[in-house]
Amino acid sequence: MRATFKALCHTIAGLVVVQAAAIAFAMFGVLHFVDGGDSLNKSLAEDRSGFDGAAGWVVHSFGAILISVIAIVLLILSLFAKIPGGTKWAGILFGVVLLQWVLAIVAFGAPVVGALHAINAFAIAGVAERAAKQAGAVAPGAPTAEAAAVT
Amino acid sequence: MTRRDRVRVLVAVVVTLAIVVPLGWMWWNSRLPSSYSVMDMGYPDYGGGARPAGAHEQMAGMEHAPGGTSVTALDTPKGRRPDVAVDLTARQGKVHLADGRTIDGYTVNGTSPGPTITATEGQLVEVHVRNADVTGGIAIHWHGVDVPNAEDGVAGVTQNAIKPGHEHTYRWVAPHAGTFWYHSHQMSHEQVAGGLLGPIVIEPKTPEQGVQEALAVLHLYDGKETVNGRTGFEPVEAAPGQRVRVRAVNTDNGPQAMWTSTPYRLAASDGYDVHQPTEVDGKSVVVPAGGRVDLEVTVPEDGSGVRVSLGNTGLVLGPSGAKAPASPQPTKHLDLLHYGSPTEVPFDTEQADRRFTYSIGRKPGFIDGKPGYWWSINGHLYPDMPMMTVREGDVVHMTISNHSGQVHPMHLHGHHAVVLTRDGKPVTGSPWWFDSLDVQNGESFEVAFVANNPGIWMDHCHNLKHAAQGMVTHLMYEGVTTPYELGSDSGNEPE
Repeated sequence: MRATFKALCHTIAGLVVVQAAAIAFAMFGVLHFVDGGDSLNKSLAEDRSGFDGAAGWVVHSFGAILISVIAIVLLILSLFAKIPGGTKWAGILFGVVLLQWVLAIVAFGAPVVGALHAINAFAIAGVAERAAKQAGAVAPGAPTAEAAAVT
Repeated sequence: MTRRDRVRVLVAVVVTLAIVVPLGWMWWNSRLPSSYSVMDMGYPDYGGGARPAGAHEQMAGMEHAPGGTSVTALDTPKGRRPDVAVDLTARQGKVHLADGRTIDGYTVNGTSPGPTITATEGQLVEVHVRNADVTGGIAIHWHGVDVPNAEDGVAGVTQNAIKPGHEHTYRWVAPHAGTFWYHSHQMSHEQVAGGLLGPIVIEPKTPEQGVQEALAVLHLYDGKETVNGRTGFEPVEAAPGQRVRVRAVNTDNGPQAMWTSTPYRLAASDGYDVHQPTEVDGKSVVVPAGGRVDLEVTVPEDGSGVRVSLGNTGLVLGPSGAKAPASPQPTKHLDLLHYGSPTEVPFDTEQADRRFTYSIGRKPGFIDGKPGYWWSINGHLYPDMPMMTVREGDVVHMTISNHSGQVHPMHLHGHHAVVLTRDGKPVTGSPWWFDSLDVQNGESFEVAFVANNPGIWMDHCHNLKHAAQGMVTHLMYEGVTTPYELGSDSGNEPE
């Protein structure tokens, strides 16, 4: 259970990297498209084959759902895995993922909030790694052999 | 297991259930029945007006007592011979575009965009539609033409989808001159994107003399914006000094800025003439998804052309081989709130019989079992939508506000409404009539219309991807019923 917990934490951190890569792909795609003298409209921007980089949006929106689902699974898992502080860190992780959604939605209307969305991404990756580290922690008073066996 | 361990596990199980059970319950509840009537959808909203006798609060379906009028009876009277007869055949497969590309999609009479339907105001138009081989079925909606309800072409609401090999005849009297379009209203997010559409031009009884006309149908085919099926700029021959009315139709899911290399007048929007339009220079006009604008320009006397841009594509109007200057996109938009001059509106906009709130938001949840961050109306997700119920003759006010983060082109079937205020500021220019209105994030429009066309009418987002995600409500006239059904078993899937 500890191993799964740890693996899911690393997965979330890894997906944050994918999310950053996907959105950079999309943004550079937009700049490249308009550099060619073309103008971008909403229909094109949201079309899968509208411009080189459009796949970045698709990956990013799918990744957002995936990270959220994993964060919920992790929270539930933490209740059963005897990881000291596991639930606390899984809870914090769920909280920053939720915040990421809020920031994204607000950013559509107020783009400057998008900067916070990017900064919060580092928080998600950081908290995910911190939670993963927690999986290696030993419960106070627990025999060390048990901890070694399950990690 | 120690007692402490047992308590821990118990707490873990309880908390898990507290998370999983509500989610599971929401998921289960969100699943749509395999067939259902639009009449049973959501909850009734009377807009503060009179309720039908015996109306029940819980279900819109409770009010359709026997003896109501079926949408099928709300048709165009038989007997009169059509003035304009059109045959349309829809096919699925390869589309050969005017720009030489071949893509997968849909055609009408072998082309996309389909043929232009042209009629004069007051004429009876009879359109014989045949579905040759579109597997999902089709239905043809006359976007912006306020036709009788039975002719509205919405699968599952006003008719059953026309199956492959089957036919359906639509009859309507062209109620108003202007630029309109037709498109499939069965699996529309796929079929319209694939090209099952075409323009409609209704000429006034006494057309203005000396004005040439040109069509510009904007459509995104396979990732490329086109006008009349062509990327780039299509040449349209026009003599120096000639006045040209360009009828632009936005058939896409997003708004499109339109501008010209010479000053223009916005002659009409959504098929309604602007009263005393003034000359516009250095501003673009934004055409909402589903919306139309008519721009009037004059070809220069020096033999050059006029460039009419809809983003990357458009028209060049001028003598044969004329060059038109490049025209960069203006950063400012024409504001219809203050354009043209005021004139009378044929009803009292001050007095409202019903006032509806149409608040567009976004919230997490399930729609038909699918988790997501969905568009909501008045805080509810599809199908738990307000059924806006009216009585014939009512003056209806609607406040449409958007706090969902993105623009929504709202389209009410069967009626034209007039904008009263935007963000509390009243219209100071020409009456702003519309059937497709862009409501930007953070905006709030107060609009008014007369309930003068009985039936069950869709009022939905014309970003057809959003409609397919559940941004669909209905305006229902008291006592009107429909025998048609939605859902997987019915074969009707309007979005």
